[in-house]
Amino acid sequence: MIGKEEAAMLSLVALLAKGHVLLEDVPGVGKTMLVKTLAKSLDCDFKRIQFTPDLLPSDVTGVSIYNPKSMEFEFRPGPILGNIVLADEINRTSPKTQSALLEGMEETSITVDGNTVPLSDPFFVMATQNPIEYEGTYPLPEAQLDRFLIKMKMGYPTAKQEMEMLSRTSNGHPIEDISAVLTREELVDLQREVLEVYVDRTVNRYIIDLVTGTRTHDGVYLGVSPRGSIALMKAAKAYALIHDRDYVVPDDVQFMAPYVLSHRMILTSEARFEGQTAESIIDSLLSSTSIPVKRNISE
Amino acid sequence: MMEDRQSFIYKLILYITGFLLFCEWMRPMEQISDTDDVRVFLIYATFCFFVSFIQVPWYLSIPLKGLGLAFIIDGLYIAERIFSRDWFSVLYEQILFNIQMIQSQEWWQMTPLFRSLLFLILLWLMSYLLYYWFVVARRMFFFVLLTLIYVTVVDTFTVYDGKWAIVRTFILGMIALGLSSFAKVMDQESISFKGLQKAQVWALPLLSIILFSSAAAYASPKLDPQWPDPVPYIESAAGGAGPGGSGSRTVQKVGYGEDDSRLGGSFIQDDTPVFRATADGERYWRIESKDTYTGKGWEDTLEDPVTNMDPQNITYELFTDNVEVEEQTVMIEMSRQASFRKLVYPYGLSSLVRFPNDYELRVHENTGEMDTLKGESPAKVNEFIANYEYPSFEYDQLREAGDDDPQEIRDQYLQLPDGLPNRVRNLAGQIVEAEDNRYDRAKAIESYFSSNGFEYSTTDVPVPDENEDYVDQFLFESQLGYCDNFSTSMVVMLRSEGIPARWVKGFTGGERIDTRDTDLSDDLQNVYQVTSGNAHSWVEVYFPEVGWVPFEPTKGFTNNTDFYTDVETEEGEDPAVAPDSETPEDQMGNPQQMEEEESSDAAGAAGSSDRNSTWLWVLLSAIVLAAIILYFTRYRWMTALLIRKYRNNKDEETYEKAYHYLLKVLDHKGFKRKPEQTLREFALSVDRHYQSNDMRRLTNHYERVIYRNEAQSTQWPKVTELWENLIKKTLS
Repeated sequence: MIGKEEAAMLSLVALLAKGHVLLEDVPGVGKTMLVKTLAKSLDCDFKRIQFTPDLLPSDVTGVSIYNPKSMEFEFRPGPILGNIVLADEINRTSPKTQSALLEGMEETSITVDGNTVPLSDPFFVMATQNPIEYEGTYPLPEAQLDRFLIKMKMGYPTAKQEMEMLSRTSNGHPIEDISAVLTREELVDLQREVLEVYVDRTVNRYIIDLVTGTRTHDGVYLGVSPRGSIALMKAAKAYALIHDRDYVVPDDVQFMAPYVLSHRMILTSEARFEGQTAESIIDSLLSSTSIPVKRNISE
Repeated sequence: MMEDRQSFIYKLILYITGFLLFCEWMRPMEQISDTDDVRVFLIYATFCFFVSFIQVPWYLSIPLKGLGLAFIIDGLYIAERIFSRDWFSVLYEQILFNIQMIQSQEWWQMTPLFRSLLFLILLWLMSYLLYYWFVVARRMFFFVLLTLIYVTVVDTFTVYDGKWAIVRTFILGMIALGLSSFAKVMDQESISFKGLQKAQVWALPLLSIILFSSAAAYASPKLDPQWPDPVPYIESAAGGAGPGGSGSRTVQKVGYGEDDSRLGGSFIQDDTPVFRATADGERYWRIESKDTYTGKGWEDTLEDPVTNMDPQNITYELFTDNVEVEEQTVMIEMSRQASFRKLVYPYGLSSLVRFPNDYELRVHENTGEMDTLKGESPAKVNEFIANYEYPSFEYDQLREAGDDDPQEIRDQYLQLPDGLPNRVRNLAGQIVEAEDNRYDRAKAIESYFSSNGFEYSTTDVPVPDENEDYVDQFLFESQLGYCDNFSTSMVVMLRSEGIPARWVKGFTGGERIDTRDTDLSDDLQNVYQVTSGNAHSWVEVYFPEVGWVPFEPTKGFTNNTDFYTDVETEEGEDPAVAPDSETPEDQMGNPQQMEEEESSDAAGAAGSSDRNSTWLWVLLSAIVLAAIILYFTRYRWMTALLIRKYRNNKDEETYEKAYHYLLKVLDHKGFKRKPEQTLREFALSVDRHYQSNDMRRLTNHYERVIYRNEAQSTQWPKVTELWENLIKKTLS
């Protein structure tokens, strides 16, 4: 993935932290390609759901069909039962269908026709959406948004990156050449390792300082929930592990904060009117919250 | 290439600025010390600075600078062929002698050669130090500040006019500081000189700020000096003459000097031995008299006629044959440090025995100045024995001498300046009002000073201003002074009363240090040590038919001349007229010692309060200076202490403290960690500056301690080493 190192890394963080990613960008910048590449290099079962306005919840979860031969209802699993699920253009479908996916993301199982079907492990959803101001979309409700661990943007590649991209794709797509570097079992192990990454009280304190900052900030109508704090800690742990560390440093928190926190808060209309964004508020919080650099801070 | 040139020019400018600042230190030297020509030193300094700047290897630069030093020393002081055997032996002897002097703490005896040598070495070191300060460490603020303080102090306390020096220092300082902070910013932000094709444009704001602020500072109105007092005080020390201070505009030690045209001001006590006299008693050691009072000091208009005299038969007479005399002999041994090319002699000198054959004696008949010449040039006579006729003046003879002075004496010794204030004359009139003869009048004036609130002091003595009279100032304003004040005032008052008088210079008796049985005299003779501090001035009053009679107006000193009452001629002589100071001496045993104590007591008592406060000031400034130095070097010595402490303590708390101390040191050096900056980011920026990865490695360990809650004891030696390296690098 040319020029998408950060996006790839963030996806990996979410994958390791057992979270999900919301990719928000205009079409054609490589959202789908990112997910495909990830799935391919992980030797995982990859499913794709293209959300359309007429998509039904059963198209996501799967449906029980009566089999006249066996005279039984037979469950035909939907795409949500894959390991890595690409939910393309999630905001183009009706809220009912959206929530079918989102509920599956929060629980570890789905219920279809009274049958509880466990989701596969690992289970990783990467949803993409076009920016909200596009027409014909059903914006995801804020409460649903914080089911995603990370929300990120891809952005356009630079001219140089795009040049290279053109030259590489001229003789067939390079995705065909990717082979898996990690088995499913190894991935599960890694996910377990993330849980073991050490977070010191000092760093937790820093996370809490940041999150509390969003709750008291003037430009914020609804601050980050405790679920956000947990998410930030998890993401920082995964990020630390990726960087070959078994403990979290404030740098990890600083790096992850914009991606983890920005979609978990609602700005006041005044702030929005002034041109502030959730990202800019988090930036200002990061540059005003002091880093703990000593041990034994008093609670 | 471009970068090299740019940074070379930058370094050059910085270094030249440093050199010019350093020159500001040298400039006042001609005026405030007895350096005659500072140019030699300037040239050598330039040379050293140049050699330092081109950064030749040490095996070249040391011989180069050493050679320069040798040539200067050779040109100034050593007559021998340079680098010859003799040349080295002269140098060796000089150094040996001076080291001995230093060991015995007799600093003032160091020879000019050695002092110049030391100074040149200092210049050498400074050239190196300033290169380091300015170019390598880029820490010039302290030096600029010191230069400013130096110039202001020199300007305030000496005759040096630092007006332009301040302006120059200010501008140079601004350039140096501006450039260095410029470079520091570039360094910290990792901007290379290459990116600075438009460096000239960048320098414009700096230049305009310097120009603007200098112009504004120069043009803006300034307060008058807030503390004008010390200026005349110290200025006088610099410009004035002590008892016989040379009067050149340098800080003078007490001692015999020749220029008395500007009297006044304080002087420093000095006990350098001048000569040793083996004599029967304390005598005045006369050198010369002066005749013309200018209102500021004394000048000699009667140098001529000069006669060559046979040392065996000296015909110069201060008093007539009518005076009762006693034949006596004295041996004078000049000390090694004295550089007298004149004779010091007692009253009544008649012949010199054991006077070197190849010397001539040339006598100025009016002043009594006796030059000793070897060939045609004045030279020092180290040792001689003099026969003299010690006079005893009879009171009645003096009282009855009358006022019938020869016309020549009247012409020469009644001179007074036109600007002499009338109150001086009036005062003289009042003092002598009741007396009817010359001796009593002179005595009245002489004793006037012992009461009436006059005080003896060698410090805090003012120098008269341009429109002030020296005598008038002493009599009516300060009433504080030493022998010059007393004797000059007495001469002036006598003259205003029509009594011919003149001002005499020489030495007082000195301190009796030994008693010796010599072949010069039948009795035991005393050995007197005469030091620079014994330099003295007194008064000679002319009595017709008698000659010149010494008087001693200075408070605390006694007249070394003998006076007696002829019982046969005048039986009812009132004992009260006997010289007052002799009375207590007789009662208190050893007269010689008493007098010396008395005089030093008088000097000490008057000076003690001033000295106390001076010491207080010196102590205070020393403490303040020490505090400032400690403050500015606090990171250095604290680090030295902490390094030792941390080496022995191996717990996490110590590590934490050590790390935070490092942060503090870095902060002090301009690397401030913002509170929201993570340690990693900070370490990265520090490492970028020092082009290493020590800080990152140390930070990594520290992170493990605080964020991983991990003990680092196994890593301790490595961590300590990293920490020490970093601290040292930061402080270098």
